[in-house]
Amino acid sequence: MQRRAFIRSLSYIGIASAFPFLSTRSFAGSIDVISSHAISVNDLPELTGELTLYLGRGEGGLYEDVLNAIKKRNPNFTLRIRRGPTAALANTIMAEAKAGVRQADLFWAVDSGAIGQIVGAGLATPLPSDLTDQLHSKFRFNDWAPISGRIRTLPYNPERITADKIPDSIMALPDSNLSIAWAPAYASFQSFITAMRILEGDKATTQWLKAMNKKAKKYAGELGVVMAVERGEVDVGLANHYYTLRLKSGKPDAKLDLAFTKDDAGCLVNVSGVLALKESKTATDFIRYLLSKEVQTYLSGEAYEIPLVGKLSPPEGIPSLTEISPPTIDLTKLADLRPTLVLMRNAGVL
Amino acid sequence: MIRKIIRWPLSYSISLVITLLAFLPVIILFTLASDSVQMFDARNLDILSNTLLLMLFTGLGAALIGVPLALLLTYVHIPWRRFWLILLTAPLALPSYLGAFTFYAAFGSGGEIENVLGITTPAVNGLFGSSLIMVLYTYPFVLLSTRAALSSLDASQVYAARTLGMSLLPSIWFVVLPRIRNAIAGGTLLAAMYALSDFGTPAMMGLTTFTSEIYVEYNAFGLSQAAMLSLQLLAVVALILYIESKVKVSQESPGRHLTFWPNYWQTKLLLLSTLPVVILAIFLPLAIFSLWLWREGIGHFDINYAINSAYASLLAALVAVIFALPLAYAATKGRVGRIMERITFIGFGIPGIVMGTALVYAGLQLPFLYQTLTLLVLAYVLRFLPLAVGTIRSSTESLDGSLVSAARVLGASPKEAYRRVTLPLTMRGVVAGGALVFLEVMRELPATLLLGPIEFETLSTYLWRVYEAGYFGRAAIPGLLLFFISGLGLAIMFSTERWGSTTLNERSSR
Repeated sequence: MQRRAFIRSLSYIGIASAFPFLSTRSFAGSIDVISSHAISVNDLPELTGELTLYLGRGEGGLYEDVLNAIKKRNPNFTLRIRRGPTAALANTIMAEAKAGVRQADLFWAVDSGAIGQIVGAGLATPLPSDLTDQLHSKFRFNDWAPISGRIRTLPYNPERITADKIPDSIMALPDSNLSIAWAPAYASFQSFITAMRILEGDKATTQWLKAMNKKAKKYAGELGVVMAVERGEVDVGLANHYYTLRLKSGKPDAKLDLAFTKDDAGCLVNVSGVLALKESKTATDFIRYLLSKEVQTYLSGEAYEIPLVGKLSPPEGIPSLTEISPPTIDLTKLADLRPTLVLMRNAGVL
Repeated sequence: MIRKIIRWPLSYSISLVITLLAFLPVIILFTLASDSVQMFDARNLDILSNTLLLMLFTGLGAALIGVPLALLLTYVHIPWRRFWLILLTAPLALPSYLGAFTFYAAFGSGGEIENVLGITTPAVNGLFGSSLIMVLYTYPFVLLSTRAALSSLDASQVYAARTLGMSLLPSIWFVVLPRIRNAIAGGTLLAAMYALSDFGTPAMMGLTTFTSEIYVEYNAFGLSQAAMLSLQLLAVVALILYIESKVKVSQESPGRHLTFWPNYWQTKLLLLSTLPVVILAIFLPLAIFSLWLWREGIGHFDINYAINSAYASLLAALVAVIFALPLAYAATKGRVGRIMERITFIGFGIPGIVMGTALVYAGLQLPFLYQTLTLLVLAYVLRFLPLAVGTIRSSTESLDGSLVSAARVLGASPKEAYRRVTLPLTMRGVVAGGALVFLEVMRELPATLLLGPIEFETLSTYLWRVYEAGYFGRAAIPGLLLFFISGLGLAIMFSTERWGSTTLNERSSR
């Protein structure tokens, strides 16, 4: 609790101290040891001119801190930000394109589905390959750049159960005798079901949903799921990893631990991503800043997101991408949400 | 009869333009929905019954709290009456999803009440929880519209009833309430429509409603499906609009004001009875926010957010009232006017995010105004026009036409008669309408996010940002400011209520 408040005030009052790259060059050297590919902001060109960014869901101060630090480092650069729910901004971008009034230069979305929509509509401009090459090979795309990742996890209450009671296959979860919390209306959950649909087929997914629906307790969002696990309302939940880490950072003695399934949709790694809507060097350079090792390190340290560039280590409390075994899946296919909703409706989940 | 049809009053022409403007987003929804085949299926009946029950309970509850409070604040002589009025109206400025969230966090096992006091409280959720929270954040609709109607009632009939031996409560029930039922119905209608279109509260309380369905579609990038479902929701809107339009009142001339002078203990008791509402709707959310603030520390906060909120809300309230006056006037002039007035209500029943997107399409028709403050205020006005129209209309329609006729006989032009007779007599309705729009704009979110000038941050967008990120402590200061600024705005508005009503006061005090 104390630590969190401290970090928060630090990142606001003295942004420079939370972001070494603003003031010193010496820090950059020490990071080179962990990373071979990630580029330091010191080696990036200075940003000039003006950009308009549509930012899908703010993630509080954390993305803001990153954006403020970039602004501060580039005094000749003006960044104008519009924040909103991801789907609403995606729809706004589509409407603007239809009317021929393009306002945004960049779109940064917390959800790869929204990115898939805009890319699918042909509105994104291709990115240079030296930019996308910085990313993990699984996360390279022509028209957009993933920024940070999140893993599907099974948060559990260690006072109620032990880790070995949790099956390591997501498909086996409904057959266990655990009480479960889930948030089917939540966007990340629906992406996870889309992944399951692609990996296991519609029939198995429907059966899984029906079996789960009989025993799982519904919550509005995944923060609610994690809170319910911590309160002891249920044994185990289905949620993105960072909700658990954030709750624990505010409440270090929280009764929460994380379990992972193996090589199935249950440990899907989904990403937030950015795309450029207009051809502009400043826009691509801006994306380079987001992929810089300083920003990536900050996002993992403070927002508990998983860095996707070079060999940067994941946030504390999360095994690295090589230790867990996420399924192999084309993330842009996760934009295909509608069949998932039909399936979920037919199973009586939505 | 024929003369009546041929005559097309000026207010009709103005109203027609405004009605078309207000209906524009709905027309856009029709075009957006045209490539969807999503239809109401049998499974939706369950959801529909949840929706209808939530609407019914919200309407009933809002009336049960709003009407007695309106009676108390209009007729009873209590100390600091203006203060109580402002305090009890302010909950309308707090976004109901925040209210719902604080209830969720406060009650139940492991909730904050248990953490702090050690008392385990039952969880607030489901249909009961949603209805409770909706009522707490919508009853001011009824309170303000009822108060506006009450204050222009002539007290003589109550005195007559009392002289003839009727006791106090029956005389209020049989003599006062029937004469203002259109205002009560109008406020209840707004509360019910709010319940119909709100998403955050039922989602937090685990209740699946028609609106949750729409949000799921919207977030799955099914804009046309979301638009189609929203249009189907309009069938419910049409139904409640029809029921409300059946409520009629007789016309009468204004007269002396009714005032009760309770003794010291009665005053105490009456004010004490408002306590549950004050505690649940205002104190609880602020206490929970403050608890988190104390735990997590203050974040960065810019006072400009508050200034932006107040500025945009005042502008919107002013423009909405100007737009609403001809519509409310036209509604009392005949059937066509009445229909036009009804049409402006339709948009209020459409879920915020869908309406926000429709307004983006509408705004893009005027590219030079797109994402400017002018367009944002216009969007607010189109969304919240019914709040002003409804209140002004219900205080206009009970007005006896003979006063206007008298003014005309004495040589006043229609314009002068309106300015010097009708307007002063409906001033309370006008102010109440403006106040409702003001409060509703203070908490409006989707249109502000999508249509505001870039970097235009208000209290409600800031609250949304910190809430989404889970930094609840940072919601404390903007939450407090939301109440404070709403109070200030209301104080200014209520101080204009008596403009132009001096002649009337002279007459009634004789």
